[in-house]
Amino acid sequence: MSTPEREWTERSRALSQLLARSGLGDRAAFATLYERTSSHLLAVVLRINRDRAQAEDVLQEVYVNVWRAAQSFDAAQSQPLTWLTSIARNRAIDSLRRSQTQPQLRSNVSANDPDEEETDVYDSVADDAPGPLDLLSRATDARALHGCMEGLSAAQRQSVALAFFDGLSHGEVAEQMRQPLGTVKSWVRRALLSLKNCLEAAAQRDAVAGKG
Amino acid sequence: MDYSRPELADRLAAEYVAGTLRGPARQRFETLLPAHPQLRHAVRAWQDRLMPLTLAMEPQQPSPAVWKRIEQRIGPAPAPQAAAPTGSWRQLAFWRGLAGLASTAAIVLAVVLAVPQPAQPPIIVVLGPAAPPADGGVSTASFVASISPDGRSMVTRPVANVRLESNRSLELWAVPKARAGQPAEAPRSLGVVSADGATVVQRGKVLDDVDALALSLEPGGGSPTGKPTGPILYVGKLPAAPKR
Repeated sequence: MSTPEREWTERSRALSQLLARSGLGDRAAFATLYERTSSHLLAVVLRINRDRAQAEDVLQEVYVNVWRAAQSFDAAQSQPLTWLTSIARNRAIDSLRRSQTQPQLRSNVSANDPDEEETDVYDSVADDAPGPLDLLSRATDARALHGCMEGLSAAQRQSVALAFFDGLSHGEVAEQMRQPLGTVKSWVRRALLSLKNCLEAAAQRDAVAGKG
Repeated sequence: MDYSRPELADRLAAEYVAGTLRGPARQRFETLLPAHPQLRHAVRAWQDRLMPLTLAMEPQQPSPAVWKRIEQRIGPAPAPQAAAPTGSWRQLAFWRGLAGLASTAAIVLAVVLAVPQPAQPPIIVVLGPAAPPADGGVSTASFVASISPDGRSMVTRPVANVRLESNRSLELWAVPKARAGQPAEAPRSLGVVSADGATVVQRGKVLDDVDALALSLEPGGGSPTGKPTGPILYVGKLPAAPKR
């Protein structure tokens, strides 16, 4: 077993315990949970809602929500970081709905140069960042996922990355990529389907390799 | 739409998790989630698939003000005796065992937190439907509340499946004992409890002079007035527990 895998398992277990203790009203555990995860969740939220003040408001809501819902976290069903990140993403997407009247500065691709359509957003955001979560990104799950992302066409990858990382709707992705809405919708749908099939195949390979 | 169709459930879940399901469709989907296990399962699978992508992002340190505001929102830190993790974990296991023995229905109960004299069993209150069943049948238990002997903490847990609309909450109330010659006191809120899992209730000495526990249906987040506003769904009388 490689070190990153063990690291992932250990971190997951530690976060699960912190969540369980938070669910029992342990404030110290909750503070530690916040210390260990808030910078990751803020990165996720900021990517979707670029307004720092709003993003921090969202982050506050997320953790108040986590404190109240920590009892419902089921370590047998979910990875703690997946659970937390999902809550943060949902809140961030909701915050876009609320602040729709305000202009959003989200374009980081081909904003100035129409010839940059081939820019691969996924590559630009996947730069390894040094930090406490860095090791996690090299864990098995993430590695399989990155491999599967590589298998998508450039257009599929870009459409999924814009939607997932930046929280863009189908319409906004179409605008960014200067493509018809229907084309973008089908790119996203097919990309997600390919990812699912690829990840399931990878999991099966791992299972076979594990037995052999 | 038939959300039990696996392909449809999976496609909607994928778009929900990827973030492309938006606006009213997203809200509708979130409303449906609690009642559709197949959708929930699909959502969880997609979260497992996609969330690791976020691990490549560069962490962003929030300003210290965020944690301060969170602390203000979640209320003051509990009294020191409630915060001894090792002790309460050992006691959790101990209480689980005791509660399991005490329960004939093989319900797993958990009573937690610092209990000064763990030799005493928890007080168990069974909450049943407030109104008798329409068909005249036997009403069944719906919630169980197990209370630590010192009355400081309580765990509630649904026995049967309780389905709630997403914009509704169940709120727990302590119904005070009637005193001779005095007007009945209003129920005291013990907070919102989960309809599909255990909830730990800590309100100091919650059970002094309490006759019964009741659960009412309230708007999401609990009663806006501090008094029950919705129908009382479940009630349970406290046993005439021997006081120390």
